[in-house]
Amino acid sequence: MSTSRRLDPVILLALPAVLYLAIVYGVPLVMLLGRSIMVGGVPSLAPFVGFLSDPFSWTVIGNTLRIAILVTLVCLLIGYPTALALARANGLAQALILVAIILPLSVGVVVKAFAWQIVLRRDGVVSQLMTGLGLWSEPQRLLFTEAGLVIGAANVFVPFMILPIYSVLKLVDPRLGEAAATLGASPLYRFFKVALPLSLPGIVTGIAFVFSMAASMYVIPNLLIGDRFQTLATLTGRSFLFMRNEQLGSTTAVVLLVLTVAVVVGSAALSKRLGGAS
Amino acid sequence: MSQGFLSVAGAAKTFGAATVLDGVDLSMARGEFVSLLGPSGCGKTTLLRIVAGLMRPDQGRVALDGQDITRLPPHRRDVSVVFQSYALFPHLSVAENVAFGLKARGAPSSEIAPAVARFLDLVQMGAYADRSIKALSGGQQQRVAVARALVVGPKLLLLDEPFSALDRKLRETMQIDLKRLLREVGTTAIFVTHDQDEALTMSDRIAVMYRGRIEQLDTPAAIYARPATPFALGFVGLSTRLPGTVTDSTDGIVTVATQAGPLRGPGNFLPGSPVLLGVRPERIALDHAGANRIEAPLTDAAFQGARVQLHFQAPANGQILVETPSLPAAAGPGTPLKMSWAIDDTLIYPAPAEAA
Repeated sequence: MSTSRRLDPVILLALPAVLYLAIVYGVPLVMLLGRSIMVGGVPSLAPFVGFLSDPFSWTVIGNTLRIAILVTLVCLLIGYPTALALARANGLAQALILVAIILPLSVGVVVKAFAWQIVLRRDGVVSQLMTGLGLWSEPQRLLFTEAGLVIGAANVFVPFMILPIYSVLKLVDPRLGEAAATLGASPLYRFFKVALPLSLPGIVTGIAFVFSMAASMYVIPNLLIGDRFQTLATLTGRSFLFMRNEQLGSTTAVVLLVLTVAVVVGSAALSKRLGGAS
Repeated sequence: MSQGFLSVAGAAKTFGAATVLDGVDLSMARGEFVSLLGPSGCGKTTLLRIVAGLMRPDQGRVALDGQDITRLPPHRRDVSVVFQSYALFPHLSVAENVAFGLKARGAPSSEIAPAVARFLDLVQMGAYADRSIKALSGGQQQRVAVARALVVGPKLLLLDEPFSALDRKLRETMQIDLKRLLREVGTTAIFVTHDQDEALTMSDRIAVMYRGRIEQLDTPAAIYARPATPFALGFVGLSTRLPGTVTDSTDGIVTVATQAGPLRGPGNFLPGSPVLLGVRPERIALDHAGANRIEAPLTDAAFQGARVQLHFQAPANGQILVETPSLPAAAGPGTPLKMSWAIDDTLIYPAPAEAA
């Protein structure tokens, strides 16, 4: 009796979210995992062996990883300076930057992807600008290319890189940079030895968010690159929706899940190593 | 002194409409310890940040060791700072914090380890080298911050209220330790504080700052004995203060009519000038042996161990305060007491203007 009454209040606070996720996410996930290793009612690893021995599968895995890594890198390169600016700005400037980052989240992914279709096509804004500047000799189409997909996806996901980094940076005492400066550290040295290591937790969170979303995105590749280019997510969708092949769909979904979890956990472990050594 | 080791000339800084620093001159000798003493908002921290290079002055020049450093960025100045919040790097150990400046300057690693060990020993933190910063108490963090600032051998050390987060007892120990350490290392230092006791204890000279100006720059004893302005009188040490009007001025001695009676002191004022008259509390004797004599009812006696502080009923805008070794017998609240002091112990200032 006394032990049940002393239930940790933290557990009670987390209970709604845990229950919700267990029902709408945990149960289907277990069903999916089960489906992927059952062949005709018998447990078997044959679907995975079959999938991984097909060279086309490796092309799909390569596509998924390459696009997700590129999108994550672009988001990091654009997002880190933005997060830094956001953390250093104050008052009106900070409010404006925040609105500029958060407001686009209210525009649906489909709308954004269609907008990018217009921007990236052969007679689109980008092509006109590049030929106008003389950088391209003739109009080019970025739509339905990997570059176009990375550009469009980075646009959708960049807030999820900026916000975690910002939330960590704004807690870093600005005096630390000043202390480093008065100790003789150049701006570059200060960045790599103080600002960067202290913002590593935010970077890891941002990478985890963006990588997992970019690896599993479905609508954006459909609209910006099309059927000829398959990722694990689009292949999963096709398997269930068009090919009616639940076996293949559940297998690709599990492969995607394993890859994403591995990258997220791996980057967290790596950052701990880098942060531990000075 | 005019060609000092550090010389600040005409430093001015405004933020919007507020003048934070209003043309400050400061000159220091090598090895000297100078305190910037003043209330919050007097510009002392702004002056410190300008000397450190963390802020550009709107006007004025800063020179250190014969070099104009006004436009030099902080990392090229050889000026270390101990911040009020210590600003230790939370992701580095105690030893790594102390080593930071040497590494940033590209010192060979064979020199870094012994230097770090030596300075950690100097601040009695040798046993904590591998600890995390978060595991240290405030006093320990403060010691690490001092070691980190000194290990690079700065030309100048700036300390921004480094003891304000410590309790009184620890603060007094740290003050003595720091003073001893700076003497051993031979560092020139500027110490920012709003605590007059701290400034009086530690400094070779004190710059009393008020409203963006240095009101007085002198030794602690001279500032205490001869405050240059009513602000210095009020901010450094306690004092009896009586407003009045000059009635006579002869041979450098003025007579001032106050509500406590006519009083005399050294000075040169035109008759009719409004003035403020001040006396240090320990200069007043509880008898009528001195030339300036008043009598007032006792309101309060504060026992302070070695001495007793007596407060008396005073005229408007004034206060009467006496410090004696012991409370006179049979004196309680309301008892009128005689007191007196010498003409030479009387300080007379033009009445301070109230408007800003």
